[in-house]
Amino acid sequence: MKKINIWAWIVLLIGMVYFFLPLISTLEFSMKMIKDRYTFEAFRVAFTDRAFFEHFGYSVLWALLTIFFSTLLVVPTAYWVHWKLPKARPYVEFVTLMPFVVPAVVLTFGLIRLYGRPPILLIGSPILLIAGYIVLSLPYMFRAVDTGLRSIDVRTLTEAALSLGAGWGTILTKVIFPNLRVAILSGVFLTFAIVMGEFTFASLLAWPAFGPYMEEIGSMRAYTPQALSLVSFLLTWASIGLLQWIGRGRVQEQVAGAH
Amino acid sequence: MSAVEKISQPPARKVDWNWLGIAPFFLFAIVFLFLPSLSIFYRSFQANDGSLTFDNIIALFTVRDIINAYKTSLTISLITAVGGAIFGFLLAYAVVLGGLPRGIRTFMSTFSGVASNFAGVPLAFAFIATMGNAGLVTRWIEGIFNISTRELGFSIYNMWGLSIVYMYFQFPLMVLIMAPALDGLRREWREACENLGGNSYHYWRYVAFPILMPSLLGTMILLFGNAFGAYATAYAFSGSFINLVTILIGAQIQGDVLYNPGLGNALALGMIFIMGMCMAGYAWMQQRAARWLR
Amino acid sequence: MSSSNKHLSRRDFLKVGATALGASAYLAACGPSGGGAATGPDLTSGNSIPLDELTAAAKAEGQLTTIALPHDWANYGEIIETFKSKYGLTINELNPDAGSADELEAIRANKESKGPQAPDVIDIGVAHTATAMADGLVAKYKNANWDTIEMKDPDGYWWAEYYGVLVFEVVKPDIVETPKDWEDLLKPEYKGKVAMAGDVLKSNQSVQTVLASGLARTGGDITKAAEAGLQFWKEMNESGNFIPVIADQGRIAQRETLIVMEWDYLALANRDALAGNPELEIVVPESGVLAGPYAGGISAYAPHPYAARLWWEFVMSDEGQNLYLKGYAHPIRFNDMAKRGVIPQEMLDKLPPAEAYAKAFFPTIAQLTETKAYITENWRKVVFGE
Repeated sequence: MKKINIWAWIVLLIGMVYFFLPLISTLEFSMKMIKDRYTFEAFRVAFTDRAFFEHFGYSVLWALLTIFFSTLLVVPTAYWVHWKLPKARPYVEFVTLMPFVVPAVVLTFGLIRLYGRPPILLIGSPILLIAGYIVLSLPYMFRAVDTGLRSIDVRTLTEAALSLGAGWGTILTKVIFPNLRVAILSGVFLTFAIVMGEFTFASLLAWPAFGPYMEEIGSMRAYTPQALSLVSFLLTWASIGLLQWIGRGRVQEQVAGAH
Repeated sequence: MSAVEKISQPPARKVDWNWLGIAPFFLFAIVFLFLPSLSIFYRSFQANDGSLTFDNIIALFTVRDIINAYKTSLTISLITAVGGAIFGFLLAYAVVLGGLPRGIRTFMSTFSGVASNFAGVPLAFAFIATMGNAGLVTRWIEGIFNISTRELGFSIYNMWGLSIVYMYFQFPLMVLIMAPALDGLRREWREACENLGGNSYHYWRYVAFPILMPSLLGTMILLFGNAFGAYATAYAFSGSFINLVTILIGAQIQGDVLYNPGLGNALALGMIFIMGMCMAGYAWMQQRAARWLR
Repeated sequence: MSSSNKHLSRRDFLKVGATALGASAYLAACGPSGGGAATGPDLTSGNSIPLDELTAAAKAEGQLTTIALPHDWANYGEIIETFKSKYGLTINELNPDAGSADELEAIRANKESKGPQAPDVIDIGVAHTATAMADGLVAKYKNANWDTIEMKDPDGYWWAEYYGVLVFEVVKPDIVETPKDWEDLLKPEYKGKVAMAGDVLKSNQSVQTVLASGLARTGGDITKAAEAGLQFWKEMNESGNFIPVIADQGRIAQRETLIVMEWDYLALANRDALAGNPELEIVVPESGVLAGPYAGGISAYAPHPYAARLWWEFVMSDEGQNLYLKGYAHPIRFNDMAKRGVIPQEMLDKLPPAEAYAKAFFPTIAQLTETKAYITENWRKVVFGE
């Protein structure tokens, strides 16, 4: 067991170096705003702009909505495929991989064309935006939940619960969800990050999201965009940390393992 | 199925109502994914003046630039899928089962959440700021060894440099998805294996990997798709210098210079087709992997 | 506890969904446009509308939607703010990063929807005007200053707004000896230091960069310039002087790209923005001075047609054109305005010397299209040898 420990620390160290070096380089650059000395001036500029927090707030709201509806859509579907319909798996997985190869621009304009005109006029509300976000996060959400479902014995759990007289609502909420907590959280984190960073949909559908704001800042004087990207990285990380804290379960991680 | 089960099966023509369970999902996909993307299909067969043509599709197989683009895209996707899977798995293993303090797992999970989507301009900038000609690490190395990387003609702007950049969102993705799967590896199995006289190698070869294989494959195809469809990062890094399909598509349907949306859509259609093929290959591999279980 | 939570959330979802749908339906019913301007000034003739009538009609519309106007590009930031405060209209700014193709696509996709995501006015590369007209995406309008615009469509479907020339943007003191002309860029001391501000396959600016270098080599012969330009960049690539990274203010500030070719207004704006950190020297090349104009138009499906026309009356007026000049872009009516003496002297002083611009070459649309096709088709083959 001790041997594993050392390797684990080494791997972790390599990972940390790889992940933090680029962030440090960006920080080092952003501190050079004033000639010949290091300063946090660029960050001050970032924080005095109210629009930064407004746009961040909007995106957080839409991220939460996306997460909610996406979970509602994906978890029962993945569960159903595992439990009743393994034959449907290839079709479902194909659908979840499509968002990777459909260019975002094409999808957005397609959505506008189809649903932006009377009588279906969906443009007025963020429904199209959220739908677009759900589509974008589909691959990640599904894969996370699917992997989680693999690691628990869905069949046995469901049959046991059914034989004990549980209704579907109870099965989903008291048996499946708790066991999938970690996996669903993974999907939630991924979805959150995607929505926060997304640009194309929000920009072309004309919504004040964080992505377009960051792009606009990116074209400003150098040093500020780099400072802002670090700040948004930290803020998003903090938000995800909050989600993790909200979603933490009891210490006992799982009720049942894989077969 | 045994003969008895076969006889007691209802006649095959009955409707399988189970499909209704995933109807909402498919409905959503049709409304918000397939219908808006239909234009990819019919625009691929349109010339700039609107007439019907197969030129765009033919170009996919004949124009050298395009063939090279597909090759490079596939190569970099494979490299980062496999590389990302390997190191990502090691990282996941380290934080979940490596005996590290629990806080590190939470740290890694939340960090992976952000890092998985740290892409595009900020990511490209961060790496150029690190290893570019005027990057932090480059300057350190130049200072220590008293050399000039520019003179030596050393450049990160190639497929390998881009792969290193892509790993930034591939590793975290692997970690986030595989951690729950690793949670499912019961300690009892390891102990049972050791009791039967097996060592680490036996455990992994006969117990752990077979169980994890479906999840590993699933995550690898996710990483593959992730890299295959990546655009913003590659463009911010080196423009169209590295010949990728997504960059070609971007040049055709956006931008100020080229404008052949028919070709752009045909390229996207090609990507969809390739993704479909990979899906088929992956489904086949899943079937074989599943033979070890149940 | 959890199951009742779930029921509540489903009901909530239905409530929210129904409200949203209801709201959108309601909004759609008492839609925008229509409004009061049903009997506004005539739009079909394409003639200039008197300013007071136009202002009143535009104010009734209340807003304008623009696209692809970054704030630090030719001083669009100030132009937009001045327009807003002068006429009291709100402006929805879509996608400042959009390329010309995106702008046209946005018009196409929004043909039947009139929301704030449908652009009213566009600013596109001159080469795209042909597509815009062929696809019926732009409406004709000859603003009050029509006659003094030196580059335009005779029927009024588009007109040039401003132009710039390609210059060298050099980071001092990293570059000890500033290059003076295109051939200087091949010198060994510039190894790994020269970059373009865009990608040749996507950015008009970069295609023009290739063309300009070719023009320098052929001594002004446009017919052979494309080929010569590609040859020049092949040598740049082989010597290692050219790095394929796309330069922007960040890269320049970072000193990754020490010599960049950009439009003068962008380069000068960078110089001001960076304020010496690092110090930038802007040089107009001695030969191969290529001018790149941009064209403006009104969407044929504009949700706010009067606001759109008011925008152009403003932008093409002396006041608007001078704002371009403040951003270092040469307004297309420069010669006329200089003759009438309406350009403030301080502005003229801040520009590079006028003699440098005397040699500026304006390609015709036909030449632009032809050279662009040649360069993009052969870029990879010739320069990278693929």
